[in-house]
Amino acid sequence: MPPDDPDDLALHRRLVSGDRDAFDDLYRRYAPTAYGVAYRLVGQQLLAQDVVHDAFLALWRVPEAFDPTRGAFRTFFLSLVHHRAVDTIRREERLRARTERAANLEPLVDEDPADTVTERSYLGIRRTQVRSALDELSADQRRVLEMAYDEGKTQVRIARELGIPLGTVKTRTLAAMRKLRTLLEDDE
Amino acid sequence: MTTTVPPSDHETIDALLAGYALRSLGPDDATELDRLLTDHVPACGECRTTLDAFAAIAADLALDAPPVTPPETLLPRLHQQLEARSRWSLPRWEPTRVVAVAASVMIVAGLGGLALSRGAGVPAGATLSAADISQAQEFAAQPDATSVEMGPLTEVSAPGLGGFYVIGEGVAPPPPGSVYRLWAVQGDVARYLGDFVPSPSGVVALQVFVDPSAIDRVIVTIERAGSFPTSPGAPIWQAGAA
Repeated sequence: MPPDDPDDLALHRRLVSGDRDAFDDLYRRYAPTAYGVAYRLVGQQLLAQDVVHDAFLALWRVPEAFDPTRGAFRTFFLSLVHHRAVDTIRREERLRARTERAANLEPLVDEDPADTVTERSYLGIRRTQVRSALDELSADQRRVLEMAYDEGKTQVRIARELGIPLGTVKTRTLAAMRKLRTLLEDDE
Repeated sequence: MTTTVPPSDHETIDALLAGYALRSLGPDDATELDRLLTDHVPACGECRTTLDAFAAIAADLALDAPPVTPPETLLPRLHQQLEARSRWSLPRWEPTRVVAVAASVMIVAGLGGLALSRGAGVPAGATLSAADISQAQEFAAQPDATSVEMGPLTEVSAPGLGGFYVIGEGVAPPPPGSVYRLWAVQGDVARYLGDFVPSPSGVVALQVFVDPSAIDRVIVTIERAGSFPTSPGAPIWQAGAA
């Protein structure tokens, strides 16, 4: 199991006791990453804000949902953000209120590479490792991963859009995840 | 059409776990994975390790997106929400808003035929051995112990225990893909304690480190495995605190 960041664990312990300052500190650490990935998925600033808002509010209300024995805090929280973003995409698609995302990305007012202390000290290091690992994937593997993770598409839909068998999508996805696991666990 | 994957076919199971971690399974595969998460994964160390690893990888994919500072209004908006609704002040019995968390919540540890999971009030140190279970049963038999029936379960408390046990035998498993979720309730405030599934032989044994005098009642709901415990669904079993 990957080790957790001790600062995250300390902040989470304080959060469990209702410490508002710890909430603010976790917000400062994770909000740029959460907003960045939420925006990448939903493609609209207001929807991305809602995703981040709901994720942090859920964290505040039920901090015990994170169990340190099961993994890192960042795994828990970034999963929460991603799942809420995927739910948002699918809800919006169902409501037909969402136009073609890729063609209509709103320009971000203040896109920044989050040159913060947090980025330099912890998440930034991991970010570099993740991007390097993704570069090791084949183009086919990376495409199915992007369609699943960044676009919130099911494997059935990915197969249909790429015109390949569902089994091929599964095989490529598994190969990609295994390769990332090998590369990223080595980096821990 | 859903195909039942044999438990020995770890290549297929791994593929399902990868799709699950990415939240990209189609409906048929999701149904089959739900079954495996209930019937196979809890007892398979290899699968649990793979699931945790894939969940960590999927979460880290968020780091590939460029970080963006949210609008300055977002944190004050959150602060207003924190003021408006204090923690645990959740609506009573409103339909649970289910958001999967890639198995970040549900933990099942097999111990000699016993399966239990842990949550807020059921921390890592609460793993019960056979001796602990015997002790809980002995507690229940003592004159100063308080036992309260809660469906097929029994809450057991005794002076000085600093918490209470929830034990039961012959407890039916929850529906496939679901878990039992334990909550402590005081007034309109519901506090998440933990998720659990009975052992294959129907045994439930949980030690809860919450003072029973500080709560009104304990409830059990059925929730989707891995869902975020935002608020309780309708209770299937409930009883006053022991």
